[in-house]
Amino acid sequence: MNSTHTSESNTLLSNASNVLAITAHEFKTPLTTIASIVDLLSIKLQADRYMNPFYEQQLSRITSEIFSLNNMLDEMLTINNILSGNFEAKKELLYVEEQILPLKEQFRSLTDDRKTLQITMSGTPCKILANSGQLTRIFTNLVSNAFKFSHENAPAIHLSYQENTLVITVSDDGIGIPAEDLPHLFQPYYRGSNTKGIAGTGLGLTIVKTFVAANDGDITVSSEPDKGTVFTLAFRYPDTCQ
Amino acid sequence: MNARILLIEDKAGLLDTLKSLLELHDYTVITAGNGEEGFAMAIRYLPDLVISDIYMPVINGYELLDKFREHPSLCKIPVLITSGKKEDDEITNAMQKGAAGYLVKPFVFVHLHEQIKKALKKER
Repeated sequence: MNSTHTSESNTLLSNASNVLAITAHEFKTPLTTIASIVDLLSIKLQADRYMNPFYEQQLSRITSEIFSLNNMLDEMLTINNILSGNFEAKKELLYVEEQILPLKEQFRSLTDDRKTLQITMSGTPCKILANSGQLTRIFTNLVSNAFKFSHENAPAIHLSYQENTLVITVSDDGIGIPAEDLPHLFQPYYRGSNTKGIAGTGLGLTIVKTFVAANDGDITVSSEPDKGTVFTLAFRYPDTCQ
Repeated sequence: MNARILLIEDKAGLLDTLKSLLELHDYTVITAGNGEEGFAMAIRYLPDLVISDIYMPVINGYELLDKFREHPSLCKIPVLITSGKKEDDEITNAMQKGAAGYLVKPFVFVHLHEQIKKALKKER
């Protein structure tokens, strides 16, 4: 390929990336309109005394699907930014638990089965050097998966402040990941062979892996089908924090 | 007296639905389809609160925040921003320009209502 062709294909890719970003953002307003119509219907049904458990459940399902669709859009936008090298690099010293604690409330309001994310800690809290938005995305994706695939028990996060490193585990008692899928788990669009019928884009873990690496961390996974999955993340403390 | 809310949004479907929801909660609602119209309505009606989109034709939400801050009759009116963008720099920019709150689209009405009540309480 000569340089003219390379330049043209780069321009095309850049344009395609911009179109995708603009389109994904344009979807947000109609999604808000649909969510607002659901709110309006719900209030009117209650005011007119027509509301019953069936209507309530179906309206709640519409809202839940709106936010699932929105999560997919966010994942597409994030991957688009990653592929075009356009993601935030600004890092600051922060406590990881401050990024994780809001997830407890966020996921409580999105699940019907009243499962609550369990968060535990050991050791003396110490800050790590990381990008706050990327950390939030890492744990949102992992916890979202844990809720999606968990069986009876609520997903759990444990933060272990060790001597030089913060080790975080995100675990669930869900369907697990077959051994043959594990090596491919972080590849874009790869989905586990036992996830048919379960919504997802196959991008969530790619984003997690990319952002963990961008923040100088490591991530590993261990899993057993029908027993559950544990993701283990490790972030070293900056020298000033030890 | 019910609070008077100026709603500025260029997508008619969302504008109508939010207007209905706000009216069901006993607010008096004035609407505008873009920033320029919104600014003129604000001067005319001096609302208790403004809810505005960011990316709109003619005058966008950021320019609107600047114009509100520079206007002696509007500078104290709380402005809540709604936007599909959730990047930190967008939120920081809006808050630095004086927004009273920032709500990422899509949202459910209960979250918008919480921010409205908070902003109105602060104003009073």
